[in-house]
Amino acid sequence: MGSLEVLDGGLLTTIQDGGRFGYRQYGVPVSGAMDDYAYRLANQLVGNASDLPVLEMTLNGGRYRFNSDAVIAMTGADMHPKINGEDISLNTSLEIKSGDVISFDYCQTGCRSYLAIRGQLDIKEVLGSCSTYLTGKFGGFEGRALREGDVLSWTESEGSSIPERVPEDRFPYYSSKVELRILEGPEWSWLSQHQKEQFLNTEFDVSPDSNRMGIRLKGDSIKPTDHQMVSGPVIPGTIQLPENGRPIIIMKDGQAVGGYPRIAKIADADLWRAGQLWSGVQLTFRKINREEANKLSAFQKNLLYSE
Amino acid sequence: MKSKLLQLNNCSWSVSALGEQALLIKPKQDDVSLQLIHESCRIIGESSIPGVVDIIPAYESIAIIYDRVLNDLGSEIDILSNAFRHISAENHSPQKHVIPVCYELGLDWEEVENYTGMEKARIIQIHLAGAYTVAMMGFLPGFLYLSGLNEEIACPRKQEPRSRIPTGAVGIGGKQTGVYSLESPGGWQIIGRTPLSFFDARKDPPTEVRAGNQVVFERITEKEFFKLKDRET
Repeated sequence: MGSLEVLDGGLLTTIQDGGRFGYRQYGVPVSGAMDDYAYRLANQLVGNASDLPVLEMTLNGGRYRFNSDAVIAMTGADMHPKINGEDISLNTSLEIKSGDVISFDYCQTGCRSYLAIRGQLDIKEVLGSCSTYLTGKFGGFEGRALREGDVLSWTESEGSSIPERVPEDRFPYYSSKVELRILEGPEWSWLSQHQKEQFLNTEFDVSPDSNRMGIRLKGDSIKPTDHQMVSGPVIPGTIQLPENGRPIIIMKDGQAVGGYPRIAKIADADLWRAGQLWSGVQLTFRKINREEANKLSAFQKNLLYSE
Repeated sequence: MKSKLLQLNNCSWSVSALGEQALLIKPKQDDVSLQLIHESCRIIGESSIPGVVDIIPAYESIAIIYDRVLNDLGSEIDILSNAFRHISAENHSPQKHVIPVCYELGLDWEEVENYTGMEKARIIQIHLAGAYTVAMMGFLPGFLYLSGLNEEIACPRKQEPRSRIPTGAVGIGGKQTGVYSLESPGGWQIIGRTPLSFFDARKDPPTEVRAGNQVVFERITEKEFFKLKDRET
């Protein structure tokens, strides 16, 4: 068994995996890594199955001391990781020696980093997943964010190979200007031509009260629709338009049913980018059709899994 | 959006996409009953459709969520139709739950009395007389949305939502009543509290209550509340 001790859990570090499926009928959100692309890449870089649990850090990752040798990889937003004070690179596998301290700082673009450790973290599954669901206080490490003094352990794995190098064109890239591709939502047709144009031409700001449940947008508000909505199913990526005219993007810890018009949905291939949105980002939307969205999904899958 | 008809539970449904990996199905009739939705969810659940990972019931629609991209809605509808053919659509009698409530632990009696123009005792009487259906569980794990509230005691949500509502709080939100399964923020008018818990992540499934189940309330005293609460924890 390998282990590490949390010296400082940073702003919000939780255990996340590929998500909790099969319980949304009971109101349990799917949870899982907000940036699914960086998350799977991290696991791939250490030779793990792509859906094993990892550490998801938000804005500032904190400090951790390893009590054993390990192979690790970091992906996602650049929190300027250091080992014993020396800069280290993202998107590559690294060997850690027992006693090493890995530390993080604030990131400038994006907001979430992933730390994968070769092997299987010793985290008990709750309802079929290791993901932390903070509101429900279950999953992950005691249903909460990591804090000073916590000890995480893992079973070291043998066998599967570690990729020597992942081509740079597969590294995720984050910017303070983001365009997300969207599909029409079930209530898109409720918008007038003017409202549609307004939605597609507005440069939105990301509100600081965004979190794992939802990303709230600011900017010129869109005139709300006159139609009354009966609560209907929502999924991560669904864009709702509440009465104040400021869209909300439902994310991984979001509810299963919502009462605001679902005007659009972030294309699955761009959902990971939405998971990195933070205050200060200028966000625009571009509408694509289903065919394009499906092609993008297939392309992304190839990018992540091809040798 | 592309739309094609689907037959399920003696009703025609329209099918559309909810993103790349999910379908949204809606009965093609004016009066959609919760029973039709819940019975149909059961049928979908029992149909073992390949790749289905979640089924979300709502008031007038159902989402079917897959672990794969749905390239052709037409062929997905054919797969669904075939799966449903082998499942009987006979009605199951819904499970009934009795929920004990201590009304003395309500937090918003003054507001509810003022709004309805009725006295607490009368409001409690009406609340106890109702037979409720679990409409859905959304918003939070195990949050019970109950339909069937007598409109005389309907009450708008609070202007300023509470940041902390205790576990088991029983509230009125518009024309619905409901139970907060977890401590959370919320805007419903709280008229009582149940000592029972309707969500336990350590159990699978995490709750015995399902959408479509029947609920009645039973009045208990404060003493009984704390006795039962101790037993629960």
